[in-house]
Amino acid sequence: MKEIDELHLPGDIYYSTEHEWAAKDADTVKIGISDYAQDQLGDIVFVELPEVGATFEQGEEFGTLESVKAVSEIYLPMAGEIVAVNGELEDAPELINEDPYGNWIVEIRPSDMDQYDELLSREDYLEMLKG
Amino acid sequence: MTEARCLRTTPLYDLHIQQQANLAEFGGYKMPLWYPTGAKAEHLAVIERAGLFDTSHMAVLSLAGDGAFDLLQQCFSRDLNRCLGKEPGPLKPHRSIYGLFLKPDGSVLDDAIVSELDGRRYMVVVNSAMGPVVAKHLQQFAAPSVQIMDHTDRIGKIDLQGPAAAKILEPLLADPESVFAEMPYFSFVGDIFPGAVRPLVLADGTPLLLSRSGYTGEFGFELFCAGSDTGHIWRSLLQAGAPYGLIACGLAARDSLRTGAMLPLSHQDIGDWKFGNTPWSFVLPLGPDGRGFTKPFIGAEALQAGSPYHTYGFAGYDPRKIPATPASEVQTKDGECIGTILTCTTDMAIDRVGTAVVSIATSVSQGRPQHFQPRGLSCGFIRINRVHKTGETVLLVAGKRKIEVEIRNQIRPDRTARRAITELR
Repeated sequence: MKEIDELHLPGDIYYSTEHEWAAKDADTVKIGISDYAQDQLGDIVFVELPEVGATFEQGEEFGTLESVKAVSEIYLPMAGEIVAVNGELEDAPELINEDPYGNWIVEIRPSDMDQYDELLSREDYLEMLKG
Repeated sequence: MTEARCLRTTPLYDLHIQQQANLAEFGGYKMPLWYPTGAKAEHLAVIERAGLFDTSHMAVLSLAGDGAFDLLQQCFSRDLNRCLGKEPGPLKPHRSIYGLFLKPDGSVLDDAIVSELDGRRYMVVVNSAMGPVVAKHLQQFAAPSVQIMDHTDRIGKIDLQGPAAAKILEPLLADPESVFAEMPYFSFVGDIFPGAVRPLVLADGTPLLLSRSGYTGEFGFELFCAGSDTGHIWRSLLQAGAPYGLIACGLAARDSLRTGAMLPLSHQDIGDWKFGNTPWSFVLPLGPDGRGFTKPFIGAEALQAGSPYHTYGFAGYDPRKIPATPASEVQTKDGECIGTILTCTTDMAIDRVGTAVVSIATSVSQGRPQHFQPRGLSCGFIRINRVHKTGETVLLVAGKRKIEVEIRNQIRPDRTARRAITELR
């Protein structure tokens, strides 16, 4: 297990209390899970992705990640519509372990972009992890 | 205080920290769950090459003296007069046997491997934290001449598992030819208990008891030694195994490997409910007609009355799992709840090819595709209230999530546990 100071937490994206990250790209936002989350889960062996076009509320479960040991729900940190899913993960779920930031899970068109600014900065997220 | 209980550690704990293991609580011990290699790589390593496990959390008892045999006959589920070979003969020195200690109500106190050191002394290996419980249970039936000792705190245990295990172990042994010459599956050499007359030592002089067994379904050994010797044995094995791709493995891989091998986890797949109708009926001393027991033993009477439960192994059709929790259940296709999930994990070495389950260890002639890259299959055990045949399917359900799984009497094919040493040296 990584120590907190060993975690890779880029400063140019935002984080949720449920350990997802969000990265804005014009009018869409890509969502993935943080280095902390992938490290806690261990080897991810299956990713259950939502349908493109599906809409979710903020904090709603949009899919699941399965490690060898556990099944974990993943929650959308912002309300919105799924505009793309990372289909590569269906055949190679381990990509999330290898590079949790290079391998986004879904891309959404948020219904309220203000929610992006309410997410945690790197510093806030780090504070939360330190408890 | 952040931890409600004080967790114990094994003598290898400092090495696990050095090797950056991800640690978790198991059976009262702080144990490696996986190392930075990850549980998947560790699972695959044991099937293709070899893996090294710290299993020093397991409890080790010895029974000695006149009446030790009678005590085991009374309390252990195997008939020690009829348990070895096709026309079952008696257990003998240097042979081990797997079975159960049952409570009078037919539920499982713990599972165990009993090894005959000599006609008057036995080693009994039970699960983590179960040493005092099993010792106390045995004590109440023991004649005064039987000495029951718990060696758990002085003995360490390392499992070397996988088809390369003999090649890795060979250079560490003082006399590998004579050791390997007498080692069929479930046999052992050496003795590290009081009264030992035939010790086995490594080339460096370290005494040990070496058994050809394990909990992965793959070829390999369990090394019992003094706790203080575990560190240098662990390091020597990792060094000797490096050319063969040996890696340290944690309990996650141990769990997925044993599940794929259809081996139960005590207190999870068997436990505090009446034993019966399981894939493990071979642990009972069934008569030649498959009915009636060849000896009386604690729990036998309750078992004769039958159990309302039926335990089956299963495999899914992809890696998706439904974890065994109080909120999950087994359903028929019509949605009727028929039981509970005992174990659900992913065997990362297998996948479906058509309807068949194929392993990375399956030969091409037996159906493994040339460039086979399994995604893994969910697998485990369920306990339901009715009979189901192999090949029938049921649903595992947790809230909105649901998966279909097939009842099976084998999960991961082409395991190596019973291969002859001569083929794998």
